[in-house]
Amino acid sequence: MRTGKNPAKTGIPAYAPRQLGVALLVYIPSQEGYFQQSLEILRYQIDSLYRSTSQEFDLLVFNNGSCPNVVKTLQEWYEEKRITWLVHSQHNLGKAGAWNWILGSVPNEIICYADSDVLFRPGWLEASLRILEAFPQAGMVSAQPNFFDVLDGEGTAHLPLLNDPDYEFGEYLPPAEIIDEYCFGIGADEEQSAAFHRNPIPYIVNRKNNVRAVMGASHMQFITRREIARQVIPLPATRAIYRPETISLDRHMDQAGYLHLSTQENYVFHMGNTITDYLLNELKTLQVSHQPLPRPQSRAVEKRSLHYRAAAALARRPQMHNLFKRLYNFLFRVLYTEG
Amino acid sequence: MRVGQNPAKFIDHVAQPQRVTVAVVSYIPFLQGYYAESLQVLKACLGSLKENTSYPHDLLVFDNGSCEPVRDYLMEAQSSGQVQYLVLSEKNIGKGGAWNFIFQGAPGEIIAYADSDILFRPGWLERSVEILETFPRAGMVTARPLRTPEKFYTSTLEWADQTPDVRVERGDFIDWEVYREHVMSLGTSEQEAREWYNSRQDLRLTYRGVSALVSAAHFQFTAYKSVLQQFLPFEMDRPMGQVRSLDERINAAGYLRLTTCEPLVKHLGNRLEEAAPTASRPGKKLPLSARFLHIPWVKQGLLRVYDSIFKFYYG
Repeated sequence: MRTGKNPAKTGIPAYAPRQLGVALLVYIPSQEGYFQQSLEILRYQIDSLYRSTSQEFDLLVFNNGSCPNVVKTLQEWYEEKRITWLVHSQHNLGKAGAWNWILGSVPNEIICYADSDVLFRPGWLEASLRILEAFPQAGMVSAQPNFFDVLDGEGTAHLPLLNDPDYEFGEYLPPAEIIDEYCFGIGADEEQSAAFHRNPIPYIVNRKNNVRAVMGASHMQFITRREIARQVIPLPATRAIYRPETISLDRHMDQAGYLHLSTQENYVFHMGNTITDYLLNELKTLQVSHQPLPRPQSRAVEKRSLHYRAAAALARRPQMHNLFKRLYNFLFRVLYTEG
Repeated sequence: MRVGQNPAKFIDHVAQPQRVTVAVVSYIPFLQGYYAESLQVLKACLGSLKENTSYPHDLLVFDNGSCEPVRDYLMEAQSSGQVQYLVLSEKNIGKGGAWNFIFQGAPGEIIAYADSDILFRPGWLERSVEILETFPRAGMVTARPLRTPEKFYTSTLEWADQTPDVRVERGDFIDWEVYREHVMSLGTSEQEAREWYNSRQDLRLTYRGVSALVSAAHFQFTAYKSVLQQFLPFEMDRPMGQVRSLDERINAAGYLRLTTCEPLVKHLGNRLEEAAPTASRPGKKLPLSARFLHIPWVKQGLLRVYDSIFKFYYG
């Protein structure tokens, strides 16, 4: 039976999501072998996000059936308010299955997706947004130059722009250090590395605003608009990581007329599953450490009257908390029961 | 740096979501006052779901910023396998916000939604899905017969008028006791409940051998996800109070709003036991102190203090 009036109906505001939502996909089924250092790497990722992102954001972590110790750690971070939304899936739904969830439900206007082994560097968001805003046809923008055409030359979204005088296309070879870092991150062998150093990559320029972007984007990390994210799902999802399924994201995006683009600089770095000296140096530069994770900035609260603010501040003092609690219970009894 | 091959690449098959996602939204900010028994109510809700839902389904719980004991209970339910998807929201994004999240993210083709103060009885999901699948353009099906304002089911009436194969019957198909059980659970007095009951009748539709009553409610319903997605997004600026718009939108879009003929869910409210009615109990005189506290201007003042305390902590 309902007794009394639900205080949630008193007109208090609900939380309004921030413009940017960052969603991380976590699958750490054990802490051995391939995954031995994965939890620590995830911690570095979240730390780097908070340190390198210039605007407030909501953080969603999708736990895709990780092991109990990882669940426990994620829960601790959630309890410490480092995570806005924590989704626990009992089973591994696969990458595409998790994308269906994430791209369907994250409420923020701009959605950043990342695998759980991506390090973020300062400027990543500004550079990505600059491209997203400069190219109205942009569907997904990665913060690292793309070296691999996931659509194998079959993309069509850029074709209408080929003869548009406002756009210029070309090819270029990124600086060697950028290519080296990319190769290091993916564990490329010598032959693969040589090919990346040899083959130029395509770019596009919007002549109106003189913004240049690399053609192509990566599943590892990208930003997109919420409206676009909703259009490209659902994706087929029968296996954990299966290229024909994950590539359907790109196909849907391309078929809807949206471009895959990326930045020319390395604003993100693929940490992989192993902590290396290279990574440790990078962490030192970013001041990422083993200290507690940074907290998100609290949002400026709506201005209230002086009396209200004084009373609210008083209510939050530990000594007053019990008193207010007892008063609250007393008022509930007298207002809504015979008590 | 990546060393080795990710073993996940060799997983041939991942769990496929069930066709039906049962979704519950909880908001229990503390365990006093209005919410003193809400955790027990939530446990009764999820317990009855487990016991009385044999139809294959996944259970999704969206927790909208509840207190620690509630989160601990939900985590325990998730780790024991009772809850397949647990979404913990550190902030209360409102019911509309939770619906936006669930109706987009839930993986099932069908979503069976419920507030966290609903008790489920055997057969509730089977009957709901049966009606959903039988009646064309079924928008939402509530597993309990109700009497609600006609303006929210005009499309259902139109469909019934225009469909030759449907049998339409008007009468008292909801027993007084069934009606009373629900209306009293909302805190309504027996007298008011009786007046409402006497002022309306029910409409029963039978189509292809399946019967349903005309009405529905947003505290519990079963619907196709594709239908619900047409009405997103919902307003998110208040925790509650804007959810009536779902009823309006579904009706305005020409979808049917139906209920089962039997009461297969029950609204528990915020208390498990039926509390004694308050000052309206006939013949009983309140003590002087209680009468003073119920003087309108005194009560208003107390209510303001009561609401303010809640806002200090949760606003």
